[in-house]
Amino acid sequence: MGLFSGTKTPKDDWSAIATVIKAEAKLQALGEITPSRRAGVIYRNDENNSFQGDIKNELDVVLYVGKGATKTAFEIQDDDRGMRWIVLEDGNFGDLASSVYTVGNAIGMNDGVDNLLAAVFELYFTGTVEDNTYRSGLRTYWIYRYDRKAFYPFVPTGDSEGERDRQTEARLGQDLRKHGLVVEKSLTEWMGLWGIPF
Amino acid sequence: MTSTTTRKFHKDRGLVTRMYFTMFMLGFLYAIFALFLMSTGMELIFIGGIVGVMVVVQYYMSDRLILMSTGAKVVTAEQQPALHRMVKLLADRYEMPMPKVAVIDTPIPNAFATGRNPKNALVAVTTGIQQRLNERELQAVIGHELAHVANRDMRVLAIANFLVTITSFLMTMLFWNMLFGGMGGRRNNSGGGMMVVYLVTIVVYFIGQLLVLALTRYREYGADHTGAEISGDPGALADALEKISGTVNNIPDKDLRKLQTANAFLIIPAALKGEGSMHLFSTHPPLEERVKRLRELEKRMRYGLR
Repeated sequence: MGLFSGTKTPKDDWSAIATVIKAEAKLQALGEITPSRRAGVIYRNDENNSFQGDIKNELDVVLYVGKGATKTAFEIQDDDRGMRWIVLEDGNFGDLASSVYTVGNAIGMNDGVDNLLAAVFELYFTGTVEDNTYRSGLRTYWIYRYDRKAFYPFVPTGDSEGERDRQTEARLGQDLRKHGLVVEKSLTEWMGLWGIPF
Repeated sequence: MTSTTTRKFHKDRGLVTRMYFTMFMLGFLYAIFALFLMSTGMELIFIGGIVGVMVVVQYYMSDRLILMSTGAKVVTAEQQPALHRMVKLLADRYEMPMPKVAVIDTPIPNAFATGRNPKNALVAVTTGIQQRLNERELQAVIGHELAHVANRDMRVLAIANFLVTITSFLMTMLFWNMLFGGMGGRRNNSGGGMMVVYLVTIVVYFIGQLLVLALTRYREYGADHTGAEISGDPGALADALEKISGTVNNIPDKDLRKLQTANAFLIIPAALKGEGSMHLFSTHPPLEERVKRLRELEKRMRYGLR
């Protein structure tokens, strides 16, 4: 029927999120990307959930306890749209990606996967975009949507809805796909997140 | 009113067969479902009445509803002479009255047609598509939209949506019914019996959705085909589709946090969400497939007709 046709998308979040590590490394080697140390997980904050009351302790356990713990620094922030952000900071990009997955996984298991919105990585881009203009050290976000299990670039140019640099996003999207990132095929799904708190 | 005009354009036999088979299956599915519901003592007339009223309203007001929901503005021949001339030329070829012409002020390239019959038709294009396409391509796009009108696709889909809407309505009702126990408390269905009805309804809903999707897809191919025959240039629509797809303006203005969740229980039926129109783009059928078929038709027409 064609309803379920289409390309293979990863079945689990880790195999999708893991592609960000490779893509980041390749683009950094090409001099197009400089990673920031930051990333975040955004989800719908459900006050009735016991896990939420204790989120700080839970994250302490998930990120700091045990062998191989990434010991990524984290901060909890609520935005004005009823969403909660777990902002993560780690100098090692691989650890950062791994922590993003771990945090998302913990929230998904306790708070329901449907409440998980996205994971966001912050990276700086330098290069020429489609209309032949040059962008140097431009702040970009790579958004991972949990419902689509795919990434897309997001380059806000302001804090109001709709203000984004579509040229750069399109260019970056092609590059990221070429370098192994799982990129959302449908451009109409590339929804923004204005006012990211990091 | 008769389907003679429709027939004249549809030369793709396989497509027509599949389309009628799907319509038959849809009717069959709902006939069985109705019998099943009646056997459980449901008040079908009541539900059918409510949904019927909504669909009739939608059907007769679709052009206005869609103008409101999309922000399309009807334009006169003085305001958009070139566009009007193009629509008039094509409408003449379809032997249909001149439809209303509307423009949506957005950079996102798209077009749609609506209206319950050719006399009440409306065709709308966005300013984005006007800027991006050349005359030949824009003509193909409008030809495609008018083909939907000529083939009376809005009517077919209104009926199909009516059936699916009833089911989704029923699903919601049964869900609340099970939660809070008997509306009005007249019926004394056991919980188990109710559960069976609910599950059957869900299954019917999903099969119905699949059939409607298939039907939409066939109608879409049909309009591509009809439009191509009217213009004699299938490649023009293929070019237009390729030119528009994947462009940066498809990247939305919308914030991810506005995304709805758990809309399984929403009562607003699909029929009232502006689906009484045929858009140039939808996810079904996939664009690549449409372009492929148009290119094949282009070859056949080039070597078959000359």
